[in-house]
Amino acid sequence: MPVAASAIYFLNLRGDVLINRLYRDDVGGNMVDAFRTHIMQTKELGTCPVRQIGGCSFFYMRISNVYIVIVVSSNANVACAFKFVVEAVTLFKSYFGGAFDEDAIRNNFVLIYELLDEIMDFGYPQNLSPEILKLYITQEGVRSPFSSKPTDKPVLNATLQVTGAVGWRREGLVYKKNEVFLDIVESVNLLMSSKGSVLRCDVTGKVLMKCFLSGMPDLKLGLNDKIGLEKESQLKSRPAKSGKTIELDDVTFHQCVNLTRFNSEKTVSFVPPDGEFELMKYRITEGVNLPFRVFPTIKELGRTRMEVNVKVKSVFGAKMFALGVVIKIPVPKQTAKASFRVTSGRAKYNAAIDCLVWKIRKFPGQTEPTLSAEVELISTMAEKKSWTRPPIQMEFQVPMFTASGLRVRFLKVWEKSGYNTVEWVRYITKAGSYEIRC
Amino acid sequence: MAPPAQSQRSPSPSQPSGKSEVTDLKTQLRQLAGSRAPGVDDSKRELFKKVISYMTIGIDVSSLFGEMVMCSATSDIVLKKMCYLYVGNYAKGNPELALLTINFLQRDCKDEDPMIRGLALRSLSSLRVENLVEYLVGPLGSGLKDNNSYVRMVAVMGVLKLYHISAATCVDADFPATLKHLMLHDPDTQVVANCLSALQEIWSSEASTSEEASREKETLISKPVIFYLLNRIKEFSEWAQCLLLELVAKYVPADSNEIFDIMNLLEDRLQHANGAVVLATIKVFLQLTLSMADVHQEVYERIKAPLLTLVSSGSPEQSYAVLSHLHLLVLRAPYIFSSDYKHFYCQYNEPSYVKKLKLEMLTAVANETNTYEIVTELCEYAANVDIPIARESIRAVGKIALQQYDVNAIVDRLLQFLEMEKDYVTAEALVLVKDLLRKYPQWSHDCIAVVGNISSKNVQEPKAKAALIWMLGEYSQDMNDAPYILEGLTENWDDEHSAEVRLHLLTAVMKCFFKRPPETQKALGAALAAGLADFHQDVHDRALFYYRLLQYNVSIAERVVNPPKQPVSVFADTHSSEIKDRIFDEFNSLSVVYQKPSYMFTDKEHRGPFEFSDELGNLSIGAEATNDVVRANRVEANDQDLLLSTSEKEESRGASNNGSAYSAPLYDASSVSAAASQAQSDSLISNLEVAGPQASFAIDDLLGLGLPAAPAPPPLKLNSRAVLDPATFQQKWRQLPISVSQEHSLNPQGVAALTAPQALLRHMQSHSIQCIASGGQSPNFKFFFFAQKAEESSIYLVECKINTSSAKAQITIKVDDQNTSQEFSTLFLSALSKFGFP
Repeated sequence: MPVAASAIYFLNLRGDVLINRLYRDDVGGNMVDAFRTHIMQTKELGTCPVRQIGGCSFFYMRISNVYIVIVVSSNANVACAFKFVVEAVTLFKSYFGGAFDEDAIRNNFVLIYELLDEIMDFGYPQNLSPEILKLYITQEGVRSPFSSKPTDKPVLNATLQVTGAVGWRREGLVYKKNEVFLDIVESVNLLMSSKGSVLRCDVTGKVLMKCFLSGMPDLKLGLNDKIGLEKESQLKSRPAKSGKTIELDDVTFHQCVNLTRFNSEKTVSFVPPDGEFELMKYRITEGVNLPFRVFPTIKELGRTRMEVNVKVKSVFGAKMFALGVVIKIPVPKQTAKASFRVTSGRAKYNAAIDCLVWKIRKFPGQTEPTLSAEVELISTMAEKKSWTRPPIQMEFQVPMFTASGLRVRFLKVWEKSGYNTVEWVRYITKAGSYEIRC
Repeated sequence: MAPPAQSQRSPSPSQPSGKSEVTDLKTQLRQLAGSRAPGVDDSKRELFKKVISYMTIGIDVSSLFGEMVMCSATSDIVLKKMCYLYVGNYAKGNPELALLTINFLQRDCKDEDPMIRGLALRSLSSLRVENLVEYLVGPLGSGLKDNNSYVRMVAVMGVLKLYHISAATCVDADFPATLKHLMLHDPDTQVVANCLSALQEIWSSEASTSEEASREKETLISKPVIFYLLNRIKEFSEWAQCLLLELVAKYVPADSNEIFDIMNLLEDRLQHANGAVVLATIKVFLQLTLSMADVHQEVYERIKAPLLTLVSSGSPEQSYAVLSHLHLLVLRAPYIFSSDYKHFYCQYNEPSYVKKLKLEMLTAVANETNTYEIVTELCEYAANVDIPIARESIRAVGKIALQQYDVNAIVDRLLQFLEMEKDYVTAEALVLVKDLLRKYPQWSHDCIAVVGNISSKNVQEPKAKAALIWMLGEYSQDMNDAPYILEGLTENWDDEHSAEVRLHLLTAVMKCFFKRPPETQKALGAALAAGLADFHQDVHDRALFYYRLLQYNVSIAERVVNPPKQPVSVFADTHSSEIKDRIFDEFNSLSVVYQKPSYMFTDKEHRGPFEFSDELGNLSIGAEATNDVVRANRVEANDQDLLLSTSEKEESRGASNNGSAYSAPLYDASSVSAAASQAQSDSLISNLEVAGPQASFAIDDLLGLGLPAAPAPPPLKLNSRAVLDPATFQQKWRQLPISVSQEHSLNPQGVAALTAPQALLRHMQSHSIQCIASGGQSPNFKFFFFAQKAEESSIYLVECKINTSSAKAQITIKVDDQNTSQEFSTLFLSALSKFGFP
């Protein structure tokens, strides 16, 4: 039975209760204490997000400085419960305007109780869509849209929407200027061996959309993915235009996308929600363009000295540049000090994370800056234990670049009133877990 | 809102009770209660917020109940909600006060604003006070008929809440039937979904007492209902889709066309952004195709990509939930995932619970083509800073070595681990090398050379030490120092805290003695003396056993202790296939995460393994070799009670201490059982019967002896993993003649235990008799069982009708091989008659 929760607790890092909401009587009232004594105050914290204590199971997640704990006594649906928490947090954020932390909860606890009442009833998730909930739950506490008092909002549809299926858009929206913003955000995950061969590499991408469109528009998005292009060329009975096509391993869509049409015609067509949302997610493992290559050489010279040389090469177009590049090179715990020579950016030794941190604010394409460092170690009395080298980690953002090569070919907006729209498209590639062993 | 923050951050003396604040609030609320001044709602809001915040941090504000109710007469919806929340929290503890609220809640249930009607109805049904349910029935009834879907949606959940407060009231008001009607006719999908949740709960719990309810429960998964809901699935919210898919997974389609129809309809759900929907869809696909092997395999191929995407997106907790399911599938069909092994590589910063699952999957998918790369990757983790993960990855390398035919490269790496000079790496590697040698004795030469260089002083962990000692004993002819190392270890007998290590030491010294008698004699004498004086029962017994063996005949002793060994070809699996299948049936639930079937963690009797084993521990003679002193003492105390008079006991102690001529009573399982039967009641004997095989197995294992199974094998052995699909069963049932048909009376315990068919199924399964179909309600149950002769294809089919009121079982048996029909019937009846004993 997919009961998602018998009770939900929000705790701060000390274990104080910020919010508690009991949905079903099948768990006792002292569950917070059980969580505190058996999980928070032990080494168990963080070893596993699902734990059984007595007859109850605890699912917990840490979000900024808050623990959200779900308690169930039955054989619950774990994936559903975690997804519920994530969605609930998104909902709260959209109410608080971004932040979700202890202070935000303390400042809005009445609102959170109101929302918790609406989004779950007797342990079953109900409606979590911010667009709909915002129609009748507001921080100002105005009367609901069903109110028989005359209001200027078109209320007839809202009644349907509170529970109805077309939950993502209401009718009668009017914008003076019709605009669509499309962001393609990719994160590259890389695991490279010390010999320079790629062990594992994939890209997870998101297409984020911000719509300010009047009426009930129909949108169609064309990408340069292989399946879509092949289908198109079949339909038009001419060979696909030459140019790079990419193969998506797997795609998931926002509920607004007509999946039947995607499967039959391979086009992404949808009626978008108003405002910001995530249209699709995809994953690619073949043909990934790595934006950076890293060539480390680390030599241990005796027991007290190390020599670190790292060359980083940017492989994207010379006209582009990466922002916020950070390269973290791990060094042993007993590092005393380090001296650097860098051809670009700044480097320093950060003892808190046992790393040499090299930052380059703006990193143009087709360049290869280097860092060479001499690291002095404190000689320890303990027997020499070989130092296990953690991987070098990298952070970056490359605007106007997609590691997958994905491009938007067209974005068509059709609305019966036939207005003109302005479409904006941006690309950005970020580092996911970008690790190079050395 | 600052008050909760302040009262928490600065623990003022008044904070724990908050009494003065509560009194303050009381006066202020009273002042506001009757006021109609403008802006009074705003001040009320502030006060209410304070009350709720105190309530949240655990200060008891129930004394304000009256004032809160007085203030609730307002049109401000936020105020109302806070008031409802307060009332819902304290009504249960204050039933008399809750009565005060009924009035205004009932009034609100008739408000013109549907929002208020809904909220009031939700609060009314959340009061959870049994003697107030009479006030609930009316509003619920009209709520279900409300023309606003919000109110109906709340009312449906209200019915479920009512059921949990007072099932009889709910059923008497005929609410389930109303819900069923709504489920099939309401235009609003959230109402439909809530009806479905409510009906599932109500009918599942009614089903045990009412035949009608169990029929209704079955109609929920009947074709018309399922198809009606499936056709509307796209209108449902993502959460309701999960619910519906869970239901569809239970549906048994009539033919393969239906199966394909459903799968085609649901295929696009695999692209849904909500991972829970994707997992639920996967469950449907897997369950539907269970009987179609080739399609089932295609399903695996199809669901691979969505699963891998889910794993790599979302928070670590979410990907853990998905990974647990992927883990289950990988273990079921490793070959399908063997080319995707790179997805299971660990990232440096991943939490260890994710890494652990990934390591297990890497182990499972290793095959001839990818072993080299996987092992290389695992070796990287062995140097990981996270020690538990480093250990796991070494174990993983070992497991792969035990799976593979070509172990050459792996052995080299394991030996490299031994040279890494990290205590925990050495420890894990030693255990592995031991297992490896048990399977591949041909590698002994290479391994022993390296193992011989390890100083036993650097090995502290009991498991590793035991492994090292085992190797010293087993390969003492190849290791020059073996007798002297063993002698050194024997000298430090008293410092060795682990009984397991001491047991191994005894055996190793014995083995070494047979190979190199002159060098080991001294050590053997010391070890036997120390063993006989050991306070641990198992160690003492083993020393005694060896001593007697040697006394009786040295060459026979050698044959017992040091027989030529067969390489172990397959190591025992920890999970039985039955348990794995049960977990698979409960896909998309906690069972998968815990890796055990739900009855093990939701039923009370299974919850704590300790409660259970404690009972056993009292009777079995140390079913497991723990170095738990408490356990050892208990066994000792027990043997005092059961076996020996005090004087006899002292005598035996004395004898063991000086290690001379020996006349202590034989201490073995049979004498325990004999004594127990005199001293204890019948039920205890049956307990012992359960414990018996385990205990003797444990002893076998402890001694490390490859003795042939002592008793002659029973004439008819059944295949414990027999499989038969329903179609074949039906066909055979029609074809075969009846071999045995008889009536059998059940013992009262069996009848008592048969509260639900599942209990018997589990019991029969433990006797290798599988159930293919079952049904019925108390007092009449009907079961179809089947069994298969071990190592033969011959099948036995059984129809078993049990009437619990007359305690009779009507049994009809049909068999392939008529010669064994009588034997099987005896076996079946004996299994059946054991049912009901704990």
